[in-house]
Amino acid sequence: MTARQRIVVAGGSLAGHSAVSELTGLMPDAEIVWITGEHHERVYSKPALSKEFMQARNEVADILLPDVETGQGTLTILRGARCASLDAAGRRLTLTDGETVAFDQLLIATGADPRMPPMVEGMGGVFPLRTLDDATAIRAAIAHKPKVLVLGGGLIGCELAASMRTLGLEVTIVERLETLLDRPFAGALNAYFLDMHRRNGVELVMGATVERLEARDGQVAGAVLSDGTTIEAGLVLVGAGSAPATQWLEGSGLQVADGVLCDAFLASSHAGIYAAGDVARWFNPVFDMPMRVEHWTNASAQGRAAARNLAALASGRPEMAKEFGDVPYFWSDQYGHKIQMVGWHHGHDRVELEQPEEAPGPLARFYREGRLVAAAGVNVPRVVMRLRRQIEEEARMRSPALAHAS
Amino acid sequence: MKIIVDRQRCDGNGVCMGIAPEVFDVDDDLYLHVAENIPNDPELRARVRQSVTSCPILALKLVED
Repeated sequence: MTARQRIVVAGGSLAGHSAVSELTGLMPDAEIVWITGEHHERVYSKPALSKEFMQARNEVADILLPDVETGQGTLTILRGARCASLDAAGRRLTLTDGETVAFDQLLIATGADPRMPPMVEGMGGVFPLRTLDDATAIRAAIAHKPKVLVLGGGLIGCELAASMRTLGLEVTIVERLETLLDRPFAGALNAYFLDMHRRNGVELVMGATVERLEARDGQVAGAVLSDGTTIEAGLVLVGAGSAPATQWLEGSGLQVADGVLCDAFLASSHAGIYAAGDVARWFNPVFDMPMRVEHWTNASAQGRAAARNLAALASGRPEMAKEFGDVPYFWSDQYGHKIQMVGWHHGHDRVELEQPEEAPGPLARFYREGRLVAAAGVNVPRVVMRLRRQIEEEARMRSPALAHAS
Repeated sequence: MKIIVDRQRCDGNGVCMGIAPEVFDVDDDLYLHVAENIPNDPELRARVRQSVTSCPILALKLVED
């Protein structure tokens, strides 16, 4: 290698952190540039934001990830920098401040942004939860013990509701569907989730949508539902899901469809450009289908895997690249219950629900064409983790070439 | 190689168990058990290191030999 290569990692959360940590070790002779929209010095753990941090059981210092080891390499970190556009063929990207960054290889890990309904714009006391700054703002807002309205009974909505109840606040969840955690658990454990939140004092308004929010002096005061019902609230938390942060890739030449489209090697439609984390829609060989996963373990493992494949290409050994196969896993903590999901339930055609008498919680198994594809359970971590391994081992038996998930 | 678990932090989410089940085991009371002797197998030890850095609540510490 004659000229020094420049590798750019775009994205300052977990997938970017994992990728940079891996690249500094693998490519000591390269110049690595890390673009992060965060202004915080260190990367922090996002799963803690809605739980430990929200309940003030952890402070900022407790949730910081270790600094990346730079070793012998050259690492430049551009903090508070956001990507505005990409020219995939020209191998350069432009930041929102107009600066242009050229690269030899690029790893895209720009994550996902929370969906915000237009009606909340410019209103005080309304927050999404995606970043440490969001979480800090919510913690400041709850000091006055407001009535809390949670828009959306998804993962973030339910975790925030549980944290707010744990702190003794009055909480209402308004959910469009009749199911809580519908997308993450396909409704399989809905009866358990409804009962759990009701028992813990959450007011559940199911099958309802918010027509508009009402404000007083620019601060939110309540909501009006589409049937005319009004709900008083001094704090509104928006858990309306998220969308992959790909706006900056419009016109880049890169194939994007609800995420950056990648093959099983996490390589995008352009040679030398990879993606990892919430922003990547990759072909997962364990399930023989493309998917996009928005969870901690995936972002961590995928950041590393994409970095290794990028490094294999950059160092002239593309045959060293490995397919990335993964059985997704996420967990949630609500009122002291451990809720876990492994695998990919989308497209399942059968669910087996088990409520063992002595067991501490229910267990659901999801099948597609007779094959176990996912499992969900409450307070049964051993069983759930055993099923995760079973899904992976069965996939390996079908396809021995499958690379190890890590 | 030795693993130190911060019991104040560990909440049994099992990310470590997913990566290195030979070494980490979360029981149904959400208590994390860690193998006392970690075999000197480079592949396994790499996964154990990865488990430590992958803990979302930073409850694991690694002491190398």
